[in-house]
Amino acid sequence: MYRYDEFDAAVVRDRVAQFREQVARRLDGSLTEEEFTPLRLMNGLYLQLHAYMLRIAVPYGTLNSRQLRQLAMIADRWDRGYGHFTTRQNLQLNWPKLADVPDILDALAEVEMHCIQTSGNCIRNVTADHFAGVAADEIEDPRPTAELIRQWSTLHPEFSFLPRKFKIAVTGAARDRAAVAVHDIGLRIVRNEAGEVGYRVLVGGGLGRTPMIGKVIRDFLPRTELLAFLEAIMRVYNLEGRRDNKYKARIKILVHEIGTDAFIARVEEEYAKLDGPGVNADPAEVARIAAYFAPPAYETLPAVSQGFEAAKARDPDFARFAATNLFPHKIPGYTAITVSVKPIGAPPGDASSDQMRALADLAERYSADELRITHVQNVVLPHVKLDDVHALWSALVEAGLETPNAGLITDIIACPGMDYCALATARSIPIAQAIATRFADAERQALIGELGIKISGCINACGHHHVGVIGILGLDKAGVENYQITLGGDPGEQAALGQRLGPGIDAEAVPEAIERIVDTYLEIRSGADEAFIDTVRRVGLDPFRPALQPRESILEAA
Amino acid sequence: MIMSANALLDGAVVYYAPGGSWSPRLADAVVAATEAEAAALEVARAAAEARGEVVEPELSPVGTDEAGRLVPSHYRERIRALGPTIRRDLGPQARGEHAHVSL
Amino acid sequence: MKLLDRHGWTTSDLVPVPIEALGDGVAVLLPNTTHAADLLPLQDRLQLVAIDFPKFSDGRGFSIARALRAQGYEGRLRATGALIPDQFAFALQVGFDEIEITDEQAARQPLGQWLQALTAIHDSYQNGEDGNASILTRRRYAAEAAA
Repeated sequence: MYRYDEFDAAVVRDRVAQFREQVARRLDGSLTEEEFTPLRLMNGLYLQLHAYMLRIAVPYGTLNSRQLRQLAMIADRWDRGYGHFTTRQNLQLNWPKLADVPDILDALAEVEMHCIQTSGNCIRNVTADHFAGVAADEIEDPRPTAELIRQWSTLHPEFSFLPRKFKIAVTGAARDRAAVAVHDIGLRIVRNEAGEVGYRVLVGGGLGRTPMIGKVIRDFLPRTELLAFLEAIMRVYNLEGRRDNKYKARIKILVHEIGTDAFIARVEEEYAKLDGPGVNADPAEVARIAAYFAPPAYETLPAVSQGFEAAKARDPDFARFAATNLFPHKIPGYTAITVSVKPIGAPPGDASSDQMRALADLAERYSADELRITHVQNVVLPHVKLDDVHALWSALVEAGLETPNAGLITDIIACPGMDYCALATARSIPIAQAIATRFADAERQALIGELGIKISGCINACGHHHVGVIGILGLDKAGVENYQITLGGDPGEQAALGQRLGPGIDAEAVPEAIERIVDTYLEIRSGADEAFIDTVRRVGLDPFRPALQPRESILEAA
Repeated sequence: MIMSANALLDGAVVYYAPGGSWSPRLADAVVAATEAEAAALEVARAAAEARGEVVEPELSPVGTDEAGRLVPSHYRERIRALGPTIRRDLGPQARGEHAHVSL
Repeated sequence: MKLLDRHGWTTSDLVPVPIEALGDGVAVLLPNTTHAADLLPLQDRLQLVAIDFPKFSDGRGFSIARALRAQGYEGRLRATGALIPDQFAFALQVGFDEIEITDEQAARQPLGQWLQALTAIHDSYQNGEDGNASILTRRRYAAEAAA
C-alpha cells in the first residue's frame, strides 16, 4: 500500500497545525461559526444529533495493522471505544470533543492518516473496489489511480469551494464492486484494441433526492491524460453547477439540465484550453505510486488446501463461513476473506476498539498486514492462505466477528440514521437489527442466497437504498417514522435504481413485509440458483406488491 | 416551544434556560407558550446563532406529561434528549437523564 | 475596504468598474458569473481585473482567475468580497495578486492571521500561478538529482 514520502507527511502535518489554529480562531471569535463550519467540514468534523462526529479518511479503503491499532487507541482515548465503517470506506467516530480534534489529527498523522476533505463542498475520499489487486477479473489494480487522484484533489486551490460535495470512484475489474455508476465521476479501467490501459469516464451518477445513473462522457481516456481531463470536468462544474439550491447543486443536475451532449462539449472545450503537461502526472510519478501496490510475496501453493478441506469436513460452522465469506483469489491457494461487521442484531458497521485490535492482529499475521474497508461496511482481509483460514476463523469467533453472512440477507447496509445523524428523518439501525434478527437462522439465509438490503434514514441516501435489491427509506410521516420499500436496485455494472413497491409502512411492519417479499421470491424463483435480483428482473414488481398489505386484508380477500 | 442547540466544545445537546444560559437538562428549558413568547424566543435564537456561543440553535415544539414534565413533541427531539436508541449506554439516558421521555 | 497582497496591506489608485461602464478604462469589476473568454478582446489593455466573491463559499472566482491567467491576462487580479484568511493561499495559487476585504473583517481578522494563513501549508500537490513548484514537480527534481 502507499507509504507517504516526506511531502505527503508534511502536507498532513501542516493541515493538522492549520486546523489547530483554526479551532483557536473559532474559540476566540475571529472566525464566526459560519466561516468556521466549512473549515471544520473540510477536516471531516460534523455536528450530529448528540455530539460532533469525526470522519477519518481511509483512502480507497486500504489500511494496515498499525493504522487500525491507532484507530482503536483513538476510539478508546478520545471517543467511546468504537467506530463506524461507512459506505464510502471511511471510519466515523461519534463522540469527539472539538478541542481534542487537533490531538486526534496528530495521532492520525503519526500513522499516515488524516480527515482531509471527508466532508465539505470539495472532492471527497476516492473509493475503489475492495478486492483490488486480488480479483481474477481485474484488468488493473484501481488503487494507484485512486492514490493519484487523492493527491491531485488534496487542498486543490481551485476546487475547494465547489457548489456541493464531489465523489469519485474507480473500478479496475469487469464486475464493478465500487458502484462507479452512482458517483459524480466514475472511472472504469479498460483496455482499447491496442491493449493500452485507459479509462471509461462516467459523470453525473448519484443517489439522494434525485438518483441518477452516470453518463459515459469518454469511452477511452488514455491513462496519461487522466488528471487534466478531471480538471476540465471540475472546472465546468465549479463554474456552472447550481449554487441557488442545495438540493440541485450536484453535477448530476448540471448534466441532466444541459444535457449529456452539451456537457461533453463544455468539458472538451475546457480540456482543449488546459495546460495538460502542467497538470498531468509524468510516467515516473505514476510508476512510483504503482510500485507501492505491488502484490505481496505470495507463496507457490496448490489450488486446493488439504487442511482447509479437512477443516470444512470436520466443522459445519466453519464450512458455513467458508461457503459465504470467501472470495476467489487470483493466486492459487489464496483467498480474500470478508469479515462481516454485521453481527445479528448489532448496529451494522460498528466495531469496538477490541475488535479493531483483533482485526489488526489477524491482518498482520495472516493477510500480509493489509485490510480493506468495503462500501458495504465490512472488512476484507485480502491475502489469506487457504491453509490459514481455519485458524483465522477461530480467532474471529473469539472476537465475535465470525458472522457467516457476507452478501446474505442479514448483511445489511444501514446509515447511522436518526440515532445519530442530524439530517435523518427516521431511524435506520433498529430496522436493520429487526430484519437481521428475523432472518438469523443460518440455513434459511443460505436458502435465500445473495440479497443485499440497504437502508437509509433519509432522502440523502447514505445507506445507498436506491441501489439495494431491497431498499428501505425512512421518512417522517405526520410525526411518525414511516418506511418506503423499493425493489430491483443494483450498484454494479448493470446499475439500476430501485422502484417503489407501494405506500410506506410503519417500523413494526417492516420485518414482516420483508419476510413476505422473501417468501414470494422463494415461491416464484426459477430455481435455487436464480438470485433475488434476477427474479425481480425477470418478473418485475407486481408479484411482490401484495407483500406490503397487512396480512388480515389478504385473508379477508381470500 | 423550547430552544435546543449543541454545545460548542463537546457538541452535547443543551437547552436555552432562563437568564440566557444553556443547560443539559430539559427541565430547565425556557418554554414559549404564547405567540409573543415564541417570537421573543426566535429573536434569542438568532442572537445566539450570531454570537456563536452554541452551534445550530433551533426551536422545537414541546408538551408536558401527566406529571407536568416537559416532553418534546417530535421524535427527533426526544431522541436528542435521550441519546442513540440502539446504545442505551450512551448519551443523557446513560446518566439516567430524561427517564420520563420515551420514544 | 482594505487591500491585501502577499506582503501585507497595500493600496491601489485603480478603481474597477462594471464592464458596462468601462469605456476606455483599465480597471474592471466582474461578477463571478463572467465567462473569462469574454475578456479576450479587452485583456491586453486592462491593468486590473477584480472578481467578485459574493460569499466566501462560492468558489467560482477561483476558476475564472485560473482561466484568465491561462488565456494570457497579465495585469493585476483582485478578489473582492467575502474571502477568509484560509482561502488566501488558494487565491494566490490560482493567479490573484490581491484581496479586498471590509474594514469589519480587517478588524476581526488582523493582518497577522492573513499572513500566517499563507504559510500554513508549505507544499502543494498542484502547480499554481504563484511560482511555487508542486509536490509532483519537486519529486521529479529530487529523482533527477539523485540519478
